[in-house]
Amino acid sequence: MSRVVVDRDRCVGSGSCEALAPSVFEVDDDGVLALLRPEPADDELPDVRDAVQACPTRALTLAD
Amino acid sequence: MSLDAAVPAVDLDGIDLSDRDFWLRPPAERHAVFDLLRRQQPFAFFAEPDIPMLETGPGYYAVTRHADLDAISSQPAIFCSGQGAVSITDMPADLNEFYGSLISMDDPRHAKIRRIVSKAFTPRVLERLVGSVQEIVDDVLEQARRTAQAGDGTLDVVADIAAPIPLRVICDMMGVPDEDRDLVLAQSNIVLSGGDPELIENQDDPLTAFLEAGMALAGVMERLAAERVERPREDLTTALVTTEVDGEQLSHQEIASFFILLLVAGNETTRNAISQGVLALSEHPEQRARWAADPSLNRTAVEEIVRWTSPITWMRRTATQDGELNGQRFTAGDKFLLFYAAANRDPAVFRDPHVLDLGRDANPHFGFGAHGPHFCLGAHLARREIAVTFRELFERLPDLEVTGPPDRLRSSFVNGLKRLPARLTGAR
Repeated sequence: MSRVVVDRDRCVGSGSCEALAPSVFEVDDDGVLALLRPEPADDELPDVRDAVQACPTRALTLAD
Repeated sequence: MSLDAAVPAVDLDGIDLSDRDFWLRPPAERHAVFDLLRRQQPFAFFAEPDIPMLETGPGYYAVTRHADLDAISSQPAIFCSGQGAVSITDMPADLNEFYGSLISMDDPRHAKIRRIVSKAFTPRVLERLVGSVQEIVDDVLEQARRTAQAGDGTLDVVADIAAPIPLRVICDMMGVPDEDRDLVLAQSNIVLSGGDPELIENQDDPLTAFLEAGMALAGVMERLAAERVERPREDLTTALVTTEVDGEQLSHQEIASFFILLLVAGNETTRNAISQGVLALSEHPEQRARWAADPSLNRTAVEEIVRWTSPITWMRRTATQDGELNGQRFTAGDKFLLFYAAANRDPAVFRDPHVLDLGRDANPHFGFGAHGPHFCLGAHLARREIAVTFRELFERLPDLEVTGPPDRLRSSFVNGLKRLPARLTGAR
């Protein structure tokens, strides 16, 4: 099972991840990133990988 | 097949990226120079342009490879922004802060303020704005058609389409009243004029013109901020005057600076993505037809337009220590200009980089900045504005036809068009 890990010191709440994988990531009204599904389903993984790749501050990792 | 794929013959002798006239050359020529720099001198060193009344500094490295640019951008502790990110010449500290705001700020201060303002730019907040972006685009395009029909069928893509859309969006977000918007547009044009003689009359004293433009924008903000303290509303200005960072409120000057940043950044960038996007589609009619027929291309097409146009050509970083990067030694104080426009055509990353492909799938372009804390705050908003604008252009102005070459802004910093003549073939 792959798991998304957020480095809170790096995240600036840009929401790039949410734009690519809205079922997994959501920046809340306080600008804080919430993980809606820390362990994404298999069919979500391609979008999640894009989101990890696109994160401008490299705050996201996908751990196996 | 792209016209830009036919690379003009250039050599690096006599190439000076600090020469303002270089930036008036057609994009294909500029990209041919970037291609050579990337291959032959990936850290080419240039003398700084002279600006009257400021001390000319030691020069800068022009970074053109995608990998080098990303390495610099993603190590903000070694390559900082606080000594100025938007100007080659070092500006006096107060000016730097006034015009640069978040862009010319480093952590921890940058991170704190960024978190406040990023709340207003998340995908979900923007979802609530979709209606208003759509309304604004519809309205602007209908007005453009009326303007063309009332005259001889001609219009200016910049003044009639590309400029008013982002201006109205950002002014709505900030709560800037209608009567101030002409002033906002005119002054933000001066701030990002790059000294273009059409916008800066007194070429011996561009600084005064920049300062006066900044003061005029700050004046609008001071008044708005005071009004929102009295009567809060649902807008970004209210958020800025009421939010605290670690128990500390933003000062009036910080708010004014941020306001200038948002107005200028929100206006000039999206405007040029739209105007140069229209130009690109007119030069590549097969791509235009492809996108017009297939809305599912929106996502990749918008990214490709941003890669292709790279509205902001560069940002600056300054080394905080001595070191080495991919074979290049540097010392503390060295300046690096990150040429996003060049990285966005790097063949090490992009297949057929000089081909416009609206379906391009892997597209890790730096049109919104490279990795790092300064990544464009308004990226989601810009994507939305560009997507809605092109969809509605296909729908409402399908007969729009570019009729002549654009007038380019003489600026190394903003890849801008001042005018793009066009007509509606169905207007007469």
